[in-house]
Amino acid sequence: MGALRRIGLAALSVAGFLAVWQLIVVVGDYPEYILPSPAVVAQRAVEAIQNGTLQPHLAATLEESVIGFAVGATVAILVGIMLAKSLTAERVLSPYLVAAQAVPILALAPLIDIWFGGGLTARVVICALIVFFPIAIATMVGIRGTDPLLVEMARANGARSSQVTRLLELPSALPVLFGGLRVGVTLAVIGAVVAEWAGASVGLGVLINIADQGLFDTPLMFVALGTLALLGLTFYGVVLLAERALVPR
Amino acid sequence: MFERKPMRLRPVMVLVVAMLVLAACTSASPSPSGTGAAELRPVRLLLGFRPDVQFAPFYLAQQEGYFADAGLEVTIEHASGGELIRLVADGQADFGVADATDVMVAKSTDIPVTYVSTLFQSFPVAVIGPAGTVPAEPAGLAGATIGTPGQFGSSWHALLALLDAGGLTPDEVTIREYPQFNQVEGLLAADVDLITGFRNNEPLRLAAQGVDTELLTIDEVAPLPGPGVVVGDAALEDDVAWVEAFALAVSQAQQAVIDDPDAGLEAAIEAVPTISEDVDTARTVLLATVELWASDLDIPPGFIDADVWEAGYATMEHLGFIDGSVPLEDMYWHAIRLE
Repeated sequence: MGALRRIGLAALSVAGFLAVWQLIVVVGDYPEYILPSPAVVAQRAVEAIQNGTLQPHLAATLEESVIGFAVGATVAILVGIMLAKSLTAERVLSPYLVAAQAVPILALAPLIDIWFGGGLTARVVICALIVFFPIAIATMVGIRGTDPLLVEMARANGARSSQVTRLLELPSALPVLFGGLRVGVTLAVIGAVVAEWAGASVGLGVLINIADQGLFDTPLMFVALGTLALLGLTFYGVVLLAERALVPR
Repeated sequence: MFERKPMRLRPVMVLVVAMLVLAACTSASPSPSGTGAAELRPVRLLLGFRPDVQFAPFYLAQQEGYFADAGLEVTIEHASGGELIRLVADGQADFGVADATDVMVAKSTDIPVTYVSTLFQSFPVAVIGPAGTVPAEPAGLAGATIGTPGQFGSSWHALLALLDAGGLTPDEVTIREYPQFNQVEGLLAADVDLITGFRNNEPLRLAAQGVDTELLTIDEVAPLPGPGVVVGDAALEDDVAWVEAFALAVSQAQQAVIDDPDAGLEAAIEAVPTISEDVDTARTVLLATVELWASDLDIPPGFIDADVWEAGYATMEHLGFIDGSVPLEDMYWHAIRLE
């Protein structure tokens, strides 16, 4: 598919989404404080950028989600390798990992915020916890999916365990690993917002609260939500680019 | 004889048939009370975030027939501040309980909602801290680390009003936000020096943890109107009598709870059985709440103190929460009047 055609399809998709949104507003006859139209939200976005409302909140969420994703993904890949290579580790750790995943982080987040004294550290921890699980599982599944004949051949040729992992299993696991990273990177944005709802003075999650409950400014709330969506799309695109660069087709 | 007997029986039979028809009609038609029940107007009422003993007047009004006597069949639900005001303004809910200061902000952003009666004659939010750490005057807050839920709602309005009354700006204190309303835990963990909280809630929770508290209240330095009943503008324009009937029922039930708090407590337990798990605390909270309902003025429950609204409106405008585009008289409407 040509680049022009891809851009055209994307533009058509966005136009369709906006048209449906506008149609819902018109047909439902919703007031602005219930569901603002795309034009009203766009105008509010311009105002929020021009008067500097949006930028500090965007910067905070960007920082939290990038660091949270980096920390969470790094730890998850290391744990995923360990789980893949050691049946004992998997048997001991898996129940805890699954149980931790089943616990709603929203309930734990306020406590984590207090345990870590608030601030960026607490928010990064919350974000990293949310990011961790899909990447760890993807890493484990990916490594276990390595062709056992290739592993046997590498060992027969004298490769050490670390070499097998680094040079054979990890590259072989990349397609599955990137699947986990794609999920994880979008969760990083959610993680940052959850962390901000646990305790923060700035961030897009904070802006949503201020707009919703403080200013009763529904269009501004949609601006914050839209910015979060764009952030998630951007992160996803970056991971996709990295995947295309690293995974042979 | 055979011919005369029917003639003699006819009046008796007519009487019997008439009685049977009458009895059938009587049993088929609703009783007076049944007629009333059929005509009750359904009302969707939104109280605060979660069921609580503080809403005892509403539970009592529902259980003891105050609402029914007013011709209303009330369904109670719960919602958070932003959602509640939007639902009431849009007519998806008929009445709600909201912060007066939130109504000022919402009304200023073209959300059609009006405050119609007062629940808390004293502003319930205060700055709270361990005994000996709370300054007597707002100026003494300088340099303190203060925990508050966030940059929204009555706690935020009260904090900024107190700082302003003390000649301070938010930059002269450290504000730590607890959006999950867990600022008590923050204070107990010594993350903050002071917190904002409701006078009928947080001090009691701290006392339960063995912490004696002091309060810095706002009523004397920068009066703000307290939470009350709100209604959508369209509903108010549509049927004033309906709004008055609801507000009066709430006022009567509130007076009943003031006169007999245990009756309110029982109603709250019936509506929210989990309250019975700690009746002593619930009673303490209710008694503290009743104190906040009281006024120095000789006014009935629900009455709106125009002087407090005028002062609060000026404070909110001075702090930049509202721009003055909606005049004060459009913010509230007296559903309860002095006789």
